[in-house]
Amino acid sequence: MGASEYWNPKTETLGREELAALQLHKLRRLCQWAAARSPFYQRAFRQAGFQPEQLRSLDDLRRLPLLTRDQWMASQGERPPFGLLPVAGREAAIRWHTTSGTTGREPIRVLDTAKDWAWQSEMWCYGLWGFGVRPADVAYVAFGYGSFIGFWGLHYGVEKLGALCVPGGAQPTESRVKQIVDFGATVVASTPTYALRLAQEADRLGVDLANSPVQRLILSGEPAGSIPQTKALIERLWGAKAGDTAGMTEIGTIMIFECSHQPGGTHIIEDHFIEEVIDPATAEPVGYGEQGERVVTSFGRGIIPLLRYRTADLVAKVPASRCTCGRGFDLYEGGILGRVDDMKLVRGTNVYPRAVEGIVREFAGIEEFQLRLTREGHFDRIALRVEPAEGTSDQTWADMAERLAKALAEAHEGLRFEVERAAAGELPRFELKARRTVDLRDQPIGAEGP
Amino acid sequence: MSADTDLLGRPRTPAEDELLELYRRCKALLEREDLAPCAHAGARAATVALWNAVNDLGLEHEQLIDLGA
Repeated sequence: MGASEYWNPKTETLGREELAALQLHKLRRLCQWAAARSPFYQRAFRQAGFQPEQLRSLDDLRRLPLLTRDQWMASQGERPPFGLLPVAGREAAIRWHTTSGTTGREPIRVLDTAKDWAWQSEMWCYGLWGFGVRPADVAYVAFGYGSFIGFWGLHYGVEKLGALCVPGGAQPTESRVKQIVDFGATVVASTPTYALRLAQEADRLGVDLANSPVQRLILSGEPAGSIPQTKALIERLWGAKAGDTAGMTEIGTIMIFECSHQPGGTHIIEDHFIEEVIDPATAEPVGYGEQGERVVTSFGRGIIPLLRYRTADLVAKVPASRCTCGRGFDLYEGGILGRVDDMKLVRGTNVYPRAVEGIVREFAGIEEFQLRLTREGHFDRIALRVEPAEGTSDQTWADMAERLAKALAEAHEGLRFEVERAAAGELPRFELKARRTVDLRDQPIGAEGP
Repeated sequence: MSADTDLLGRPRTPAEDELLELYRRCKALLEREDLAPCAHAGARAATVALWNAVNDLGLEHEQLIDLGA
């Protein structure tokens, strides 16, 4: 099986017309299933006046109501603990997972049957194989294996394609670095932030990762895997290729992956998902190349049918022809660009955390950073708190801070960023989803805490 | 789609026919009530594995919850 460039050559190379026909077939089945078994969809279809028989082409998908996270959460409240979306109770399932909880909100609880769980690994196989992971590889999974679904599917995907899987588990970063080297890992899976953290730790330990056997990093969990500057930094520090992927607990696995041709975007696994891009304000579809909100329909998880789920991810879809790999799957240019509500308005200027990270990553010698927004009276302040590498002299820091402030202002219509030095180890470190933007402007005085 | 084609209406290959046949036989095994727990668990794992293959190849697309998978 090692000769094929594709995990599933039959469907990965379908033309658009045949792909649409396959999607329509699966969509009809999914809608029939949801209408027959899911209390949530029975009600939603009735309210929308929708019946599965109305699906005559993919354009009819828009007859289906959109599903929001708030509706899902309300449903969990209405019928705890899993809500009204599932077609069966937990007695039918073999796994129970939750969203990561990084936003501080109540997590979404999800179930998977044996079939659903195996399908999730299958989706990871599309991505792993597509980025060049093969049975001869040794894959190190730098993941804590908790109730957050994270890299669970990747773990079993690695096993499924026949590579040697090393579960990193809950242990200090130093131990993980040593294991990556000792076990001769050729593939490492982590968040982009944690890939940088591992590289920093390796440097502290005197380990030369760029000359280690690691050839590929599989990144997920944050948009940074497709931020060119962050990706370039990771690739340089590791001396390896970094491939972006993205998934979500709500579908249980990844829905996009970067192939080995590294086209600057991520392919949508379109034989298993329908991905729409809509204007977040009007819910009208946007065209190729235009930014909008991702809406996903998943054919995989049977116990929780998912139809037209608004993800709040910001994306720009481009045609499959943008990549030279031969897949018929369209791409998201630049992967997940951020969240629809990511943009911060500071003194009339739009600030995107992704763009700030892109600038920060162009500077060598930065261990960690944080974007901090505060309000003094009616005046918004934006500060970039930077933790430079240990041993950075005052003169070097002063020079770096000046150049950073200048680069940030130039990219933001002259907006003044206050660049502040943080003490070593002061800023939070992240293994899962990094949260580097702290917006304190809407909090009442005194609510910030220690 | 007919009895000899995939979900796209293409004729199935001999290998696809064999996969589909194996999948259907595994499903039939799951419906039996005389399997030992070890045999039932193995049949379930095999059914799930084959479901992925026939689903990926566009040969079948269905849910298995009623079979305990």
